[in-house]
Amino acid sequence: MHPVTVSAAFLAISSAFLLYGLSYETKQLEARVAQQQRQADQARSDIAVLKAERAHLLRPARIEPLARAQGLAPPADGQIVETVPGATIQTGTISR
Amino acid sequence: MSGAKGRSGGDQKASWRGTWRRGRQSGAPSAQPHRADVNRRAVAKPRTRLVIVGIGFMFVAVAGQLVRLAATPRPEIVASLTEPMAKSFARPDIVDRAGRLLATDIEMPSLYADPLLVRGVDDVAERLSLALPELNAGDLRRTLSDRNRRFIWLRRGLPPKVAQDIHNLGLPGLDFRTELRRAYPLERLAGHLLGSVNIDNRGSGGIERTIDETVGVEPAHGGTPRTGMPVRLTIDLGVQHTLEDELTAAMGRYEAKGVAGLVMDVRTGEMLAAASLPGVDPARSGEILDPSRLDKIQGATYELGSIFKIQTVAMALDGGRVKPDTVIDVTQPLTAGRFTIKDLHASGRPLTVSEVFLHSSNVGAGLLALGEGPERQKAFLESLGLMSPMRTEVGPVAAPQLPPKFGRVEQITVSYGHGIAVAPIQFAAATAALLNGGTTVTPTYLSGRAPPPEAGRRVISADTSRAMGVLLRRNVAEQGGTGRRADVPGFRVGGKTGTAEMPGRGGYQEKAVVSSFLAAFPMDAPKYLVLILIFEPKGTADTAGEVLAGRNAAPTAGRVIARIAPQLGIRPDGTVASLD
Repeated sequence: MHPVTVSAAFLAISSAFLLYGLSYETKQLEARVAQQQRQADQARSDIAVLKAERAHLLRPARIEPLARAQGLAPPADGQIVETVPGATIQTGTISR
Repeated sequence: MSGAKGRSGGDQKASWRGTWRRGRQSGAPSAQPHRADVNRRAVAKPRTRLVIVGIGFMFVAVAGQLVRLAATPRPEIVASLTEPMAKSFARPDIVDRAGRLLATDIEMPSLYADPLLVRGVDDVAERLSLALPELNAGDLRRTLSDRNRRFIWLRRGLPPKVAQDIHNLGLPGLDFRTELRRAYPLERLAGHLLGSVNIDNRGSGGIERTIDETVGVEPAHGGTPRTGMPVRLTIDLGVQHTLEDELTAAMGRYEAKGVAGLVMDVRTGEMLAAASLPGVDPARSGEILDPSRLDKIQGATYELGSIFKIQTVAMALDGGRVKPDTVIDVTQPLTAGRFTIKDLHASGRPLTVSEVFLHSSNVGAGLLALGEGPERQKAFLESLGLMSPMRTEVGPVAAPQLPPKFGRVEQITVSYGHGIAVAPIQFAAATAALLNGGTTVTPTYLSGRAPPPEAGRRVISADTSRAMGVLLRRNVAEQGGTGRRADVPGFRVGGKTGTAEMPGRGGYQEKAVVSSFLAAFPMDAPKYLVLILIFEPKGTADTAGEVLAGRNAAPTAGRVIARIAPQLGIRPDGTVASLD
């Protein structure tokens, strides 16, 4: 057989194998992408549910009674003390 | 061989075979080597061509296959296009001004049936109606018996546990499709503002509808929530909760039929909170159709009574004809045609313009309006935007109801808030312009949409605005002020009361009133406006049997301000101690 024929046949067969390999790899990659896409969608969906749950748990109507039970309240007049620069502030137990 | 030149390929082959045979038969191929080489070359040429053409075809086939693979869409998409399309739409999240979640999409299973695959319709209908009591067994039986249809929604947006229970029944012909459903984790909070969505997750009212019209929603095939920027509102979750909490308490305390309130930034028109009770659950779109749950902030107009004197006095002071200390004779009732207008608690002496405001004198307000003239009064109300329709992102605001003409009677009644009915949000926006230094603002619920404060149109001078601030503050701070029960130590509250009789059959009803209080704080440089409305309150022990706004709306506004001012970063500075 003519060398050109042989090399062309070899090239064609090699290309076929190469293509098959590429196609197989592509399919595998596609499957991986699809799986990761599904995982991402699932994660996104889980995040949405968790966000909604967190917002539900943090709703002011639930937090406010809990805060008030702890003795917390909005700051009122006279609660804020202004310090004069250089003044010493004593902390700790007030002795009577 | 030269004779074979120009013949067809078949003839060439035949000639070549004959020559070869002849050569072998004669036994002298070696005797004519040059001739055999010529023959081989002549034969090899078309064979090579054939091989090259064959290989060429293979390459073309390979290239074609590559193109096909590249151009062909993914098989799962092809498959999904042949399935019945779910009409669900993916919506952006809604968050408050601090990014706290108000509404989001979550995946929920929806149940559908393929009647052709259903076996034992009666049994399926019976068991399904037990699992889903809201489905009627008879209707279900009819639906499932329709063999001409291959896809029927049975129930959309099922809670996951219910879906699992139905799945466990193992009924053939039933299946689930995951869809996006709107979730409102804060339940009824800000229900009127948020609006609602329909079964396909498309906005049908309130901010949800505005999102469809402006931001847009995306068709969602399957149940993946949308990713992207949320829609940020100007609402502050804490302020909204506080307002609704205090309004709920006021509704019970004063045995009122309804209450409403709003908090607005007077410099930008941004709405920090707005509530109308009885409220609505955004997850139940049908509730808004109940007339008692109407959005009283922008869905209806009311004659707001004496809080309208803010506009009248501002108009008079800005006109320059009177000053706060100008004395007006209010000792005589005003007459207009068959009507006589007199003060409820007449002081029996002439009053200054300031006192007209502080004593809420109807006669004084009427005289101020008459002094300005009908054209000026009309033009002033127009400049404040009180005479034209308005729209916010929540929807259209109920159009103001105006007197057909500004005659003497109309001038007087409008001066103290009768004969003109406007939506509370429209009134609040007009008053914000009088308190923020004198420029108009447009109420908005979407963050980043408000124009800068300096972009507003000037309606009164900065001096008049300051003078109005002083009057509002005096009305709360002074002993005789009608709004003194709204005072919150340290937060410099100012305000004006209004108690308007509601129109009914045969005229105004003395017992049915709308009590209102318009407050602003801190009055040294007003930042926030609070408007409280109490509809048909009863006189209770708390109010000494009275239904006046000073007894119910004013203290409610005070309670709201005491709680929201710290949230809004206003520092109480009335009696700050100094430590040295």
